[in-house]
Amino acid sequence: MARAMSPTRAVRNFSRARRPNAGAARMRRAGEAAVHTMNDDNQCMAQLASGNTSALRELYQRHGRALLRFSSAMCRSRQVAEDMVHDTFVALLHEPFAFDPAQGTAFGYLCGVLRHRVSRHFRQQKRWVTLDTDDDASPVHASDARSPADEIARSEITAAFRHAMLELPLQHREIIALCDLEELPYTAVAGILQCPIGTVRSRLHRARALLTLRLASLELIDLQNDSPLTHRGLT
Amino acid sequence: MKDDLQTSAMHPQFVSLLRQYARDLAQIAPSTELDARIGLLVAARRPNVETARRVPRRMQVYAAAAGFAGLAVGVGIFIGMRLKPNESVARDTVWPAADLTMWPTDSVSFKIPAEYSAQGTLVAVDPNSKNTSTRYWIDVVVSNDGTFRIERIVPADPNHTRNGHDGTFHTP
Repeated sequence: MARAMSPTRAVRNFSRARRPNAGAARMRRAGEAAVHTMNDDNQCMAQLASGNTSALRELYQRHGRALLRFSSAMCRSRQVAEDMVHDTFVALLHEPFAFDPAQGTAFGYLCGVLRHRVSRHFRQQKRWVTLDTDDDASPVHASDARSPADEIARSEITAAFRHAMLELPLQHREIIALCDLEELPYTAVAGILQCPIGTVRSRLHRARALLTLRLASLELIDLQNDSPLTHRGLT
Repeated sequence: MKDDLQTSAMHPQFVSLLRQYARDLAQIAPSTELDARIGLLVAARRPNVETARRVPRRMQVYAAAAGFAGLAVGVGIFIGMRLKPNESVARDTVWPAADLTMWPTDSVSFKIPAEYSAQGTLVAVDPNSKNTSTRYWIDVVVSNDGTFRIERIVPADPNHTRNGHDGTFHTP
């Protein structure tokens, strides 16, 4: 897959912070900083491959928070999300040679590793059967009951939104997490998911439609009313 | 939330919820436990960094696979060579040569005196009786497999020849 990105794409990829309506000079400075960050990432990966394990801490400090956000959006438990991030860096420590700077960015590579770890985790989870048949443990019931905010969502509404999102299939969940929550460009997401951009667009469209229907069934949104949810304290 | 291309088809209330959830996610920070685990990873020495290259490891895998394949072929040839003579021995055991021979290995021959009867056929006679016509000796071979055959018919009087210059009758 061709993942070679133009400098502007690389700038967008590494400047995940929002900067709407930025001026040209500001964008140029941010672009230079992003390119500098990318070079630093590649240097860190090279140092890690040469045996300098302190580069791992540098990579963790740069991307650990974003990886934990992505992992938290994918996993139900905060503890599992942190375990996935930890496993990602363990895998990076064991095989730093697998990263090829010509094929993408270090953050995209880490996201890809984390995605595979999460997918493997859920595959392994399917082998286990819970002995507790009480329906109170099901996430559907929990979302219906408007459970109090969990350890990630800060309010009951966003907790219900989180539960609805966790009910999505894994590939839809990850596309929303990457495109809508992490706000990565389509090219970067296509590189992480190793699929064409058209697949990213279509999958994102389906995921949004599924999530919207689910939220409507939970009466979190009103499909007949196009006004934003300002009355619930949301902006 | 993002550019128009990505948000044009999204419901406004959905965008609001998504934005709020993204805001909640943005407040997540790695716990001190995760920081400590990463610190332990950094502190731990990674063994054999220089020798753990990908290409040599791949070559080792290929070499191991080739060696295993060669070993399997060798074992197959060896087993095939072992099975070949065993198969012939088994065939000999199942079909003994004695059962397939055309001729028996043991037989007994008799000489039976015979004379022509009034109907023109040779019939056996008492050897001590007086000759009423020309007497012949019939050489009969009886084998141990139950078969018998007539070897020859010769006149008892060697001076009396009727058929052939040597005075013998050959069975067809």
